Amino acid sequence: MTDTAVQAAHTADAAPVAHRRLRFNILRYNPQDTGSVPRMQTYELEEADGMTLFIALNEIKEKQDPSLQYDFVCRAGICGSCGMLINGRPTLACRTLTKNLDAEITLAPLPFFELIGDLSVDTGKWMRGMSERLEGWLHAKGPEPDLRRLEERMDPAVADQVYELDRCIECGCCVAGCGTARMREDFVGAVGLNRVARFKIDPRDRRSDEDYYEVIGDDDGVFGCMSMLACHDVCPKNLPLATQIAFMRRKMVAIGWKK
Amino acid sequence: MRELAAWGVPWSRIQQGDREVIINSQKVTITERAEAQGLVAQRDFGGTKKWRTCYVSDGTGHAMLQTVSDQAIGASIPVHERTEAIALIHDGSRCYGAIVRNLITGELVAYVAKATAIATGGAGRIYRVTTNAVICEGIGTAIALETGVATLGNMEAVQFHPTGIFPAGILVTEGCRGDGGLLRDVDGHRFMPDYEPEKKELASRDVVSRRMEEHIGKGKGVQSRFGEHLWLDITLLGERHIKHNLREVYEICQHFMGVDPVKDWIPVRPAQHYTMGGVRTDHTGESATLKGLFAAGEAACWDMHGFNRLGGNSVAETVVAGMIVGEFIADYCDRPENEVDVPMGLVHGFLRTEQAKIDALINGRGSESGDAIRQRMQEIMTSKVGIFRRGEDLASAVEELQQLLVKSRNIGLRYKVRGANPELVTAYRVQKMLKLALCVAYGAHTRTESRGAHFRQDFPRRNDAEWLKRTLATWKGDDTLPTLAYEPLDIGRMELPPGWRGYGAKDYIDHPDTPKRAAEVEALKQQLAGQSRFAVQEALLPYAAKLPKSLQGRNERIDEMFTNEAAK
Amino acid sequence: MNTSTEVIAGVGLADQARKSLWPARLDWLQSASGLLLALFMWGHMFFVSSILISKDAMWTITKMFEGYFFFGTAHPWIVSVVVACVIVLFVGHAFLALRKFPINYTQYKLFRGHQKLLRHGDTTLWFWQVFTGFALFFLASVHLYLMLTRPHLIGPYESADRVWTENMWPLYILLLLAVEMHGGIGLYRLAVKWGWFAGSDANASRKNLKTLKWAITVFFLVLGFATLAAYIKIGIEHAPNYGQHYVPTWLQNAPGAVK
Repeated sequence: MTDTAVQAAHTADAAPVAHRRLRFNILRYNPQDTGSVPRMQTYELEEADGMTLFIALNEIKEKQDPSLQYDFVCRAGICGSCGMLINGRPTLACRTLTKNLDAEITLAPLPFFELIGDLSVDTGKWMRGMSERLEGWLHAKGPEPDLRRLEERMDPAVADQVYELDRCIECGCCVAGCGTARMREDFVGAVGLNRVARFKIDPRDRRSDEDYYEVIGDDDGVFGCMSMLACHDVCPKNLPLATQIAFMRRKMVAIGWKK
Repeated sequence: MRELAAWGVPWSRIQQGDREVIINSQKVTITERAEAQGLVAQRDFGGTKKWRTCYVSDGTGHAMLQTVSDQAIGASIPVHERTEAIALIHDGSRCYGAIVRNLITGELVAYVAKATAIATGGAGRIYRVTTNAVICEGIGTAIALETGVATLGNMEAVQFHPTGIFPAGILVTEGCRGDGGLLRDVDGHRFMPDYEPEKKELASRDVVSRRMEEHIGKGKGVQSRFGEHLWLDITLLGERHIKHNLREVYEICQHFMGVDPVKDWIPVRPAQHYTMGGVRTDHTGESATLKGLFAAGEAACWDMHGFNRLGGNSVAETVVAGMIVGEFIADYCDRPENEVDVPMGLVHGFLRTEQAKIDALINGRGSESGDAIRQRMQEIMTSKVGIFRRGEDLASAVEELQQLLVKSRNIGLRYKVRGANPELVTAYRVQKMLKLALCVAYGAHTRTESRGAHFRQDFPRRNDAEWLKRTLATWKGDDTLPTLAYEPLDIGRMELPPGWRGYGAKDYIDHPDTPKRAAEVEALKQQLAGQSRFAVQEALLPYAAKLPKSLQGRNERIDEMFTNEAAK
Repeated sequence: MNTSTEVIAGVGLADQARKSLWPARLDWLQSASGLLLALFMWGHMFFVSSILISKDAMWTITKMFEGYFFFGTAHPWIVSVVVACVIVLFVGHAFLALRKFPINYTQYKLFRGHQKLLRHGDTTLWFWQVFTGFALFFLASVHLYLMLTRPHLIGPYESADRVWTENMWPLYILLLLAVEMHGGIGLYRLAVKWGWFAGSDANASRKNLKTLKWAITVFFLVLGFATLAAYIKIGIEHAPNYGQHYVPTWLQNAPGAVK
């Protein structure tokens, strides 16, 4: 496009355009308030260019209803706080553009996690429990290294692979989208299996496959997964969850037949 | 970095051999040595001369945070999520902990502690347009201020970033301009050459930000429901370049605005980016005026940044201060003389006071809206205490912020629930945020010079003779303004006496001590020519003794390998 | 057992019993039995559909399995033995798969609600896999028992009589639908579950696998219904002579034709 053409296009954009009137049906419920019962509440709002649900919800809270509860922290898709059901699908509200949705939008809190109120759920509590259960931290080899000496070398490609799995933001969308987790609340979820896979490929971690079997070698772990793969399909970070779960399953089954 | 590597951060590593990089829009081939293979890689960032920024692909901060959190869980360190400190318990000289509100149940709990650390990050949300996260409201800094004892340093030093996407404020990299992106106004006109005929869009962060605001001030901004903005045009870079070299920008535009930067212009506006000021601490991270209170990271004024901050230094401060201050806090707690003998009456008194404030908000008959006050505060800060500061604007900002502070004491709630209640949270937070906003605005008004990120249009020169000093703000009782004091800096001990820092106007006013120290430094350097860099450092600015014991001593580098004895 | 037990987390796991290896084995066995059954069904379908070629072709294949061309006489008990093996596999697979079923109304309700809200392809397919699997408990059992006890009654007329005159066709319609749905989904799930054929772009492979899965299902359904229709047609025509065995054309005029 030539400079003038672009300019023309944008000046045209600047002219007032008729915006849609959006209707938000939001699940309201405050479990802290004994008088509160779950109900749907509707808010109307005029759409704006480039409006995300972050912008829309803030406008509703600032202008219409200061009691509306929801969580945003980074609002840039990196902290994982704003997972919610948008028209039934778990995803990050901060990076959901209203223009990609119908004018009627239904918002509900992520299921599975403890509800704090309205759209706000306590994913942190569950994630902590999951991490404690799976021992989701690096188990270093040997004694503490002398930090004044050069760091242990690592293959650049392996470092990149580890990072690829470390990109998980623990938003909880995978667990909320998981049919297994919905039926069996002790299931560790894709987030947990991905976590284990991350340490498994990290050469700095001393744990063996037998050790990982101890934490995910049962029906609450990798064998509970029924491969519906909604986790993979809803993951806002596009993590390779399907292949990672398959990878862990192969490794863990190998342990099962080793003896 | 090495500690984080040992804990599990997947730092990007050096691959030996040739690779191509872009430096100043030029393709350059860099050859990595074979002996560097697999060590933590470093890149240039934020225009620093030395390539010194370690990174984890495109998610450094996230990877670091994840690892530190993992290790905390591994060490069984409890984390009390969804709780926030709303007041510090103190007796005027010693801090005894904090009054903490549970954001789910609304319950207030007194945490009694030998040492209390504030690590709540910056206060970007006192501005309407900011790149900061939603929770960066500076409440930790504010409760330190509210003690009336602890001081806040350099609060007027606020950094802005020219290209926050509008209105969400998410950052798009300066690489957009570096690679040839243009800034356009409401008419599609490329305006930067009008102001900076030489450097155009490539002028420094501060200059570009200022020119953008200046241009918007002239009525050339694009009107939108959320305010005015300008356009960043990278369409001329071509699809390939945008989708490969600027992939992150492409994704941000797609995900957060639904804009295709290959074809469309990106709405941008300079956004508040970093709070250089914070709780004034000494090198151990402890407040000089309130014993037992520590601060680290962006919430602190630890003197890592001065009046501006270099790219990469924010995460660096987080981990370095975390390491050093953390060690000092542990040492502090170990020392018998720091045992706390807590007067329980004092603790209860604070608990009662805070409970009464919350009760007053819930039961009171106030008529003001917390959200409205907050929004107005943010607008004032963005329009009058932003990048481009003028005495009269600042005076009117201070005036109106004071009125808002008075109003904020009369906030009434529509939703009177004690537990999880966002309206209540906004109400008590905005009262605190206004005090920080006033520290910034009043500090900026009083400082009649330009320094670092603080730019006064009416005083464009840096004036070391009068202003080479740190601003210290305290807050007394029901005042509507902070009390400002100034602490001069000792040039005689500086390794790098004040000079031109590579940006801003060159015509600054020198401090009388500067030439003397500059000559001293020069002489020392000549005298020690040929000596090791450690000897030179020791002569210019010895710092080793200021580190915790466990962190003293040299670090091995690839060009300074330890022999076995040196390692001991 | 292994030296890493004590150090796995420094939380006293050394004293704990190791995790059972059976979940791993059961998971593997479920997949293996499913795979064998699915492959058997493919073969079975090709054999029965030989009726579409000609009655003689079907007769030949039947007799081949009865060892006629090997021993010179037909031994239907060989078929019974094969059927018995299939029954063992089938019961084993059903038993293992039961672990994955919703086990009470709460789980069922949670899953159905989840499925309807999420509207996610593979999650919905999982429900149909469970549903058809459940149907197969009964549908397949009937057929398998008949084949076990009456192996000699397999043949162009014999089978057609069973389908039509013995009123088995309604069951076979349902059985066909259930088997092809269940097997198709199952094979697809096996591939994604174990990461087979993932290649370098797992998302693209999965898409291809899904297309292939539908193609195979459609192919076997078409083949199956055509076959069933053929038996029904023969069954209607042969109804007056119900019970009469088929004699291949080349033996029809020969004395002492095979019974």
